[in-house]
Amino acid sequence: MAAAGALAPALRCSLGRHRALSRAAGRRGRWPFLAEGASLRPCSTRAALDGINKAVVDRIIRVDHAGEYGANRIYAGQMAVLGRSAAGPLIQQMWNQEKDHLRKFNELMIAYRVRPTVLLPFWNVAGFILGAGSSLLGKKGAMACTVAVEESISDHYNNQIRTLMEEDPEKYKELMQIIKQCRDDELEHHDIGLEHDAERAPAYSVLKTVIQLGCKAAIYLSERI
Amino acid sequence: MAAAAAGSLRRAGWRLWRGRAGLRCQLYAPQQGFRASAALRRASEEQRKEPPSPSSQQQFDPQQADPRPEQEAWSPGPSYTGQDGQESQDYESEEQLQHRILTAALEFVPEHGWTAEAIAEGAKTLGLSAAAAGMFHSDGSELILHFVSQCNSKLSDLLEEEQKLVQLGEAEKKPTNQFLRDAVEARLRMVIPYIEKWPQAVSILLLPHNIPSSLNLLTSMIDDIWHYAGDQSTDFNWYTRRAVLTGIYNTTELVMMQDTSPDFEDTWRFLENRVADAMNMSSAAQQITNLTGLNQRR
Repeated sequence: MAAAGALAPALRCSLGRHRALSRAAGRRGRWPFLAEGASLRPCSTRAALDGINKAVVDRIIRVDHAGEYGANRIYAGQMAVLGRSAAGPLIQQMWNQEKDHLRKFNELMIAYRVRPTVLLPFWNVAGFILGAGSSLLGKKGAMACTVAVEESISDHYNNQIRTLMEEDPEKYKELMQIIKQCRDDELEHHDIGLEHDAERAPAYSVLKTVIQLGCKAAIYLSERI
Repeated sequence: MAAAAAGSLRRAGWRLWRGRAGLRCQLYAPQQGFRASAALRRASEEQRKEPPSPSSQQQFDPQQADPRPEQEAWSPGPSYTGQDGQESQDYESEEQLQHRILTAALEFVPEHGWTAEAIAEGAKTLGLSAAAAGMFHSDGSELILHFVSQCNSKLSDLLEEEQKLVQLGEAEKKPTNQFLRDAVEARLRMVIPYIEKWPQAVSILLLPHNIPSSLNLLTSMIDDIWHYAGDQSTDFNWYTRRAVLTGIYNTTELVMMQDTSPDFEDTWRFLENRVADAMNMSSAAQQITNLTGLNQRR
């Protein structure tokens, strides 16, 4: 987390650049290291799949996909309640970035022939309820939920990056880059949440602990089933 | 006399040294298989009247200071674990040997069924002792699993070839239902030569100790078929599609086992109808979700 803290100021500076990028040309604009329609088509999977640790990569992509899917639903829930309030545009923007992440992991899932977690319908509902429920506590509640979830997710991404580094940094370079990009975005959201009075939400510490426990359980389950 | 004694001491020392390393490697090779293959190797050597590594006789000469020949002297027999880099290419891994035996055994299946007899016959055609069948389970499980795994690989290769042709523009891309029908038919046709004994095979595959492996093989085959059919679902559809295709495959297999029509026409017609049903069901489900607003495509 000290590393994350050090990253935060750097991220705030690059925030503007990221925002500009996401408005830029098409879905590939934020993922410049991926050539247009290149390495992720199913026909090339046989080559892509040789020599990688399938079990590890499977788990990573499955749980990340589930995580982004859940995050999408959380923001959808938050928008459903706070969409027309002052916080609406902010939440919408964070939601758009999550949609981008989900699209990215969908592509990875197809490229690496990973099976999605069987709990997806459950995360669908649970995510929406979490987002809507926390928003009923007001904008601060929504921001508190964002902070808790994004902190969990960034820790989780950092663990994955560590795992891949231990395996073979060269082989998994592209995958690591994508995870790093997502982690940076999530930290950005975390900081936005803090900026917008997340800590002044009612029962902030309880809320945060409960949500983070839920995230840990979700990560554990999605990796395996 | 003294020289011979020194030589034998040295031999014993090397044996102890190699034995430690050998013990470590033995942990990875199945005990039973290792011993059995050792017996097998000796038996086959007797059969072929091969002098047991004549070069090793010379290495017992204590004047040889070079440690390399000493290593060869230790392992004249089986070392499928390949721990010794000096081993020649004649030694194959135990797994490869088992594959060869099982493949050879397949031609005896129509006569003997999926049993240890078929495996013994197969081993004999390779010039090995019939005791080779002792390497395997007595109920013929490995033979069946080997066969199924072989068929799945053949199917994969076939689908890969077809995909290449489509990509090169030499063939038309088939519609999904046609693709599924052809893939399942191709896979089931591989069973036809053994169709008499196939019910026995299916029942053995359903034994509790075989279920993990057979389920694994089944799911990976179905996943392969959908992958080459172009399935790119990343939601619960992934599971629904595979479950439906598994159902179609299993029921068609059952029908095939009882089919007496020429070239199994009835089976292929049954397959066609089931695939059509599945397609109709999916479009009906989509219509319902569209109508009731449950469809979340935003």
